[in-house]
Amino acid sequence: MAAPRPTPEDELARWETQLRKGGLGLAVLATLWPGRLYGLEMLRRLEAEAGLSVPEGTIYPLLSRLKAEGLVDAEWVEAAAGHPRKYYSLTGLGRARVREMAASWTSFARGLDRLLAPFMGDDQ
Amino acid sequence: MTRDAAMAHLDTYLLQVRRHLKGLSQAEIHEVLEELRAHVLDRVEDQLTPKAVEAALEALGSPRDVARVNVTERVAAVMEANRTPLGVLAAVVRLASLSVMGFVVFMVSLAGYGLAAGFLLVAAWKPFDPDHVGLWRVPDPNDPFNFVLGVMLPRPDGVELLGWWIIPLGLALGLALGYLTWRFGVTCVRLMARAGRRRPAADPVRTEPAV
Repeated sequence: MAAPRPTPEDELARWETQLRKGGLGLAVLATLWPGRLYGLEMLRRLEAEAGLSVPEGTIYPLLSRLKAEGLVDAEWVEAAAGHPRKYYSLTGLGRARVREMAASWTSFARGLDRLLAPFMGDDQ
Repeated sequence: MTRDAAMAHLDTYLLQVRRHLKGLSQAEIHEVLEELRAHVLDRVEDQLTPKAVEAALEALGSPRDVARVNVTERVAAVMEANRTPLGVLAAVVRLASLSVMGFVVFMVSLAGYGLAAGFLLVAAWKPFDPDHVGLWRVPDPNDPFNFVLGVMLPRPDGVELLGWWIIPLGLALGLALGYLTWRFGVTCVRLMARAGRRRPAADPVRTEPAV
């Protein structure tokens, strides 16, 4: 028996998910631009400023990958909260990469905006 | 008392995660568990109750899923930093006990590298012992296609078919098979890491940003 055909809504949701996943690395790096943060602070910034609700169990594996790529650094700091926290910060390579990624993203988004303008009402 | 119960609940969860962190070193396991502990304590802030801890653990995901995405991402990241055949084989070995796919990839890689090493060994051995290295067709009344390849002591009865050609053929087959096995390992480790990210719980969701 053939699997049920995905509905247009399912297809759209899948496309949206892929789009967000593509930008997640940039978004996580961008949260660190102003300074070092620990995991939960990053999640809260992503949600508050970019509307991205990242599953909590996946942020640390993603950060460990970024660390292995040399884009972020991490250090344990004894906190006033009573337990140590692992703070992440951008390395020099990470700062350069986030600039390049942001430039690519902006250029891509501007191009797409021009293409979409006729039917998004921007030309009226 | 409530605080102790909450900490006991967190410890039980971390123990379950630890059981699924196969393939990581002790230092990596310690790192993962301490980071998860700090995350939960940050999330509950000063409300250290079993209910608050339960809510934080639910948001993290099941111990198995949390462990799996940690293992595959870390192993894949180490492999990307060292994509030599040994580095890739080490990643495949680390993922072997994680899933059926990990085990199959490990077995195929083992067979592939073993065969590749066999072909290279045959090619390298031929100049030192030409009479005992080759491909023979051995007469067998029950099997008209009875071939024997390799370093044979004693030399089999029958006709040796390749002569010195076994050197370039062995080198070519060994290198090709080694490359294909390496490529297979890299692809499968990446696929396993991607599969961990692709679990429904791992999809980023759009919410309305605070204004």
